[in-house]
Amino acid sequence: MTKRILSLCAWCGPATVVVALIGWLIAGVLPIPLGPDSSVQEVVEFYGQTRVLVGMTITSVGICLVFPLIAVIGVHMVRMEGRTPILTFLQLITGAATGVLLLLPMLVMAVIGFRPDRNPELTVTLNDIAWLLFITPVAPFIIQNVAIGLAILNDKSQTLPRWVGYVNFWVAFSFIPDPLAFFFHSGPFGWRGIFIFWLALTTYSVFLVVMGVMLHRTVKESADLEVPPSPVAAA
Amino acid sequence: MTNRRPRTESELPEFLGGTTEEPARPPARPMTKSQRHIPGEAGLWLFLLGDMTIFAAIMLAFLWKRRADVGGFKDAAHQLIQPIGGVNTLVLLLSSYLVVRALQAHRAARYVTARRLVVGAMGCAVVFAGLKAIEYTAEISAGHTPASRQFFTFYFILTGLHLLHVVVGTALLAAWQLMCGRRRAWSATQRVVEGIACYWHMVDLLWVAIFAVVYLVSAE
Repeated sequence: MTKRILSLCAWCGPATVVVALIGWLIAGVLPIPLGPDSSVQEVVEFYGQTRVLVGMTITSVGICLVFPLIAVIGVHMVRMEGRTPILTFLQLITGAATGVLLLLPMLVMAVIGFRPDRNPELTVTLNDIAWLLFITPVAPFIIQNVAIGLAILNDKSQTLPRWVGYVNFWVAFSFIPDPLAFFFHSGPFGWRGIFIFWLALTTYSVFLVVMGVMLHRTVKESADLEVPPSPVAAA
Repeated sequence: MTNRRPRTESELPEFLGGTTEEPARPPARPMTKSQRHIPGEAGLWLFLLGDMTIFAAIMLAFLWKRRADVGGFKDAAHQLIQPIGGVNTLVLLLSSYLVVRALQAHRAARYVTARRLVVGAMGCAVVFAGLKAIEYTAEISAGHTPASRQFFTFYFILTGLHLLHVVVGTALLAAWQLMCGRRRAWSATQRVVEGIACYWHMVDLLWVAIFAVVYLVSAE
């Protein structure tokens, strides 16, 4: 039973990507989201559509599927670290924060769609809040990825293959340009830019899928979960 | 309750009732030894190549924007202090050479020499960062900020990201220097030390590419 739950939690990683992206497609955030240089009219028209509310509801559910993945990462990190699982705690704390940081902007976008006939200036401001809240707070993500990477590389028994650790470092690096979104109102470093939204979206999806698939494999391979070992074996 | 599943609990953290001894565990994954030696390890190259891909993409975007405004980029590139960029290239190349020598020394168990060479490479990194700081100060006081024009946006982002790599690399070199100080044997540290050396070479390589694209190509 435990194994089945762990497996399910691991699959939540890839599921996060799928459900969240479907929600965004329905909302119209994908294929091309609103940018910092979108006109007031574009922003107001975007949030006037009912599909935004539907899509954002789906995405805000989908993004929460990251929490089970964070839990199953934590379970395996405890095994990696043994006696003093400091990186495990770090991962759990920052992981929880990242989930909230992803969820909140989706809710704000839904709130904007809730009363689209308000003063257009307010809509634009709320849209800025939603996007900058979504894109710029990258430190918890970076700390989480570095913690996972360090735990994997320090793990003598190789619970997860070492390349997964390096993938985590790469994902962490890819988030570093994101705070630049504060400084640019257009171009590749604006919030909709290729090195901000698109790069982070790609690498975070890679993170969710790689962790989900590799943890699922690890859970499947581990035999010692189902049957409690007999006391003789411990002697 | 506490003694029902002894083996499982021994693997728990101490504060959750686990034993204080490290349980002996067989490796879950047997190490696969490839025929040809990969410096560091295969997974490391996933990171290095991924990292360089992001830099390459930013440089491509830079060159793409330059196409639309060759004159403006040329004018802006002439505002850079090329000698500082050139000296910095030489400083990093020297540091890479020192890292290679240090690697050889460490492999031959000449720990004191290895440590001196690594500290020398760290010194190069400090010189690089110092020169970069002088350059940044000069450019910002001349009114060339990241917001002033597109060329300087890319210049500051590329060199800033690279400087971050120099800082991380210097921290890694410091860790290596400590290993030499503790006379850690080559066999125990090979993977880590080679990984650090590869990372440092990447930092060097990225700078050569940035220098070529931002300082030289744009100025033509």
